[in-house]
Amino acid sequence: MASLGSFLLLTAFVVCSYAAIVSVVGARRRARHLIESGIGAFYLVMALMAAASAIMINAFLTDDFSIKYVAHNSDSVQPLFYKITSYWGGLDGSIMFWVFLLSIFGSCAVYVNRERHRELIPYVVATISTVQMFFLYLMVVHNNPFTTSLTNVPTEGEGLNPILQNYWMVIHPPSLYTGFVGMTIPFAFCIAALITGHLDDSWLRAVRRWTMVSWLFLSLGLTLGMIWAYEELGWGGYWEWDPVENAGLLPWFTATAFLHSVMVQERRSMLRVWNVTLVIVTFFLTIFGTFMTRSGVVQSVHAFGKDETLTILFTAFMIVILVFSFGLVIYRLPLLRARNELDSWVSREAEFLVNNWILLFCAFFVLFATMFPTLSEAVTGKRLTVAAPFYNKWMVPIGLVMLFLTGVGPLLAWRRSTVVNLRNQFLWPTTAAVVTGAALSALGIQLWASGLCFALCAFVVTTITQEFLRGGQVRRKNTGTDLLTAIIGLVGRNKRRYGGYIVHVGIVLILLGFAGNAYKIDQQVLLKLGEQTTVGSYTIRNDGVKVDDDGQKQMMTAYVTVFRGGKEIDKMYQAKWFFHKHDETPTTETAIRRSFSEDLYLVYSFDKDHLKTQSASLQIVINPLVDWVWLGFGVLALGTGIALLPERAYSFALAKMPAEATATTAVGLLLVLLLGTGTTLSAQHATGTVDEAIQTSYFARTPFERQMQHEIVCTCGSCGHSTIAECRKDPCGTSHKLRGELAALIDQGKTRDEIIKWFTTEYNSEEMLGAPIDTGFSRLAWLFPYLVGATGAIVIGFAAVRWSHKGDQQPEGPTAADAALDERLDDELRNLD
Amino acid sequence: MTHRYIKIGATAAVLILAFTGLMWSTLREGTSYFMYVDEVMANPQAWEGKPLQIHGYVVPGSRMKKPDTLEWQFKVQNNPARSGQPGQVIDAYYKGIVPDTFNDEAEVVLKGRLTANVFQTEPNGVIAKCPSKYEAAKASAGL
Repeated sequence: MASLGSFLLLTAFVVCSYAAIVSVVGARRRARHLIESGIGAFYLVMALMAAASAIMINAFLTDDFSIKYVAHNSDSVQPLFYKITSYWGGLDGSIMFWVFLLSIFGSCAVYVNRERHRELIPYVVATISTVQMFFLYLMVVHNNPFTTSLTNVPTEGEGLNPILQNYWMVIHPPSLYTGFVGMTIPFAFCIAALITGHLDDSWLRAVRRWTMVSWLFLSLGLTLGMIWAYEELGWGGYWEWDPVENAGLLPWFTATAFLHSVMVQERRSMLRVWNVTLVIVTFFLTIFGTFMTRSGVVQSVHAFGKDETLTILFTAFMIVILVFSFGLVIYRLPLLRARNELDSWVSREAEFLVNNWILLFCAFFVLFATMFPTLSEAVTGKRLTVAAPFYNKWMVPIGLVMLFLTGVGPLLAWRRSTVVNLRNQFLWPTTAAVVTGAALSALGIQLWASGLCFALCAFVVTTITQEFLRGGQVRRKNTGTDLLTAIIGLVGRNKRRYGGYIVHVGIVLILLGFAGNAYKIDQQVLLKLGEQTTVGSYTIRNDGVKVDDDGQKQMMTAYVTVFRGGKEIDKMYQAKWFFHKHDETPTTETAIRRSFSEDLYLVYSFDKDHLKTQSASLQIVINPLVDWVWLGFGVLALGTGIALLPERAYSFALAKMPAEATATTAVGLLLVLLLGTGTTLSAQHATGTVDEAIQTSYFARTPFERQMQHEIVCTCGSCGHSTIAECRKDPCGTSHKLRGELAALIDQGKTRDEIIKWFTTEYNSEEMLGAPIDTGFSRLAWLFPYLVGATGAIVIGFAAVRWSHKGDQQPEGPTAADAALDERLDDELRNLD
Repeated sequence: MTHRYIKIGATAAVLILAFTGLMWSTLREGTSYFMYVDEVMANPQAWEGKPLQIHGYVVPGSRMKKPDTLEWQFKVQNNPARSGQPGQVIDAYYKGIVPDTFNDEAEVVLKGRLTANVFQTEPNGVIAKCPSKYEAAKASAGL
């Protein structure tokens, strides 16, 4: 089976090469059959990787210790669950798992976008295939997970490292890999857009969701890693700025920056070079992070295996990525010019720009500090190391600035904020921050840095609450429902914006948890039997040490009783487990008493004397607010989930909503949301006490009114000239008024022409017409597309004749693709929003 | 245009200077030298009082714990005893809970400062490595 596995990996490499080459050739020659062949080969790689993965898992399940990787990471007594997860427990298997995930992600991305972004797909396939080729090459020539022991086949495996036998560790690596691997998709689309020159915003729409999903998984992976470190490693904390941790954080910073700056490009057609750069840098950092943790180039407190070959291969690959990607960016600079300039520094786009700079700075600072020992050794010959205090000295103030910007962003308007606007928006958030800061100072909490962090948390939460309330109130007026229903409807109507706000609430909670770290108490004591010690508000008494053995491991458990205010509140059991096959590396079983105010965290350090004396060495840690970090991630995931909800799914839910939907429904829905089921519905069509006139202005009553609502453009200036039928995302006063006027005209029995005349006269402009009037000079505007179309057809025809004489390749007949083209055009038009 | 470039240049210069200054000042406080026992003991006086991270191996049988306390005295040498050439040896003192893998011959990194007689390890300053197994653990933990 091992030979079959190796053969499959080799085949996958060959198929990948074929997919990459044939896609590029197909795209250059515009040969549809070659492109289709490339896509087919690309799907085949997924099938091959699935088969190879099945062989690997089968080897683990059947204890095939002739495969070195299986023998090294599993044994016959390992629980079934951990046998399966051992697949990604070691280095070679994790690379294979990486390629498998990438093949799944890549295939999904290509399948979903194959029609909508047909011109990009060949290069997307080629780019992802090239990345897959690199990792497959690593496996085939250097880290083959199917390597077998030719002689002395072990009869028993060494077993998975005990500290990996933890449920968090089971899902942490796949989550982080998914986040890393997912960043390849935006990169592939970006490269495809750069090569083809299709640098309008459509490629951004294709990658936005993929980036968001990958970002969510990256966040999940980082959080699970923190929980695992907190529960399993037993040093009382969850983040130590270790190079391995930093590797996951680097692309998170740049991906976060991209998710913000992409909005600026969508809204204002600015930051085009910047967005392309961020996508490339994010992908580069995922590869660089892998390189850092795999090659041993960075000295860490943890042991990394040094691997010269891997270092050379990764370095070469990274150089190719940088040179090729940025070469393309430079080549396409003329097409990437911004179409707008920054109007004012007091605007949302300026705030996003600053936020982007800071996030990028964070990424490069962490990268610099992580690489500092290696750099210092290269430059000075002496290896200087930096530790957590250095990182914290920089990252704490940066984090506070970021938190401030999180609050400021939603308060600023696009383009330019007026003084009145600023006063109106900043009044309550600033008041909340000042009051919180003053109250904390009065309570004796030091202002720097935790006090300031709490005040800024209040600022951001007030900002977001204000946004929800104001939006909800406007919507309530327009729809006549209660506030809660209106707010839920608001979230449903603009999921990205309000989902984003919920993500910000999650970030606030996470930073609240980080700030609590300033009040951490950490003591190490040796308690004799019956002796007690007081740490913070807790008194801990040693009740003795006991030994148990369950056949797999020997468990040394220290029993303690916890008192608070003189009352017994808990009994806690912290232990050391010595697995029989790994007795040199015992695992720490911490005892944690959780609450939202603080965790009492106990670690037992075993010593042979303890069995005789019944003394216990304990590390007692009080971690204030730590659980807010985990809760914050839950909120962040909920917000991302809302932002990711598909438009159509929501419309469907909206259409099915009964007309009698009331506040009760809204409350129920909110509870469902809070419970994390992540479904939003809205009582959009709620009636009840709705003012008939208001509703009339919102919803077309007749097909004619609907048609007219689609012919008149909203002049609010912030919706990008949507029709008044469409400009409903934020409750828009202008479109509301226009719809009202339209309804009144229809009620008066006016015809289409009369209505159009009324609007052009009333507003003294044809600007608000969805299409120019088909008379006089305006007729040119109607003729123009036909002229362009005719010219285009002539040019294409001419080119087709020219190209048909080139080589043997026959261009496809125009009729072959007509149906698919129509479908694609429909699809694009549906997704124009 | 020239005026604009001057403004951009001046802003960039100020930012770079501020960044370099801050980095310099924080690096001076936040860094320590990563040294091997042989490197330190070649000229111990030169390293006295400086923040150090010393890499070495626990000398077998040298670990001593004061009864009913968390105080440890032990020796660390440049190379493992099994190598036959253990190299220079340094005396170390530590008060606190030691890692689970702090055994004879364990590969350790000690954080602290060198005094005239002994290396004073700072709280939580003993990091013991497990050369064969921990690699896989962290490799998959981070990536």
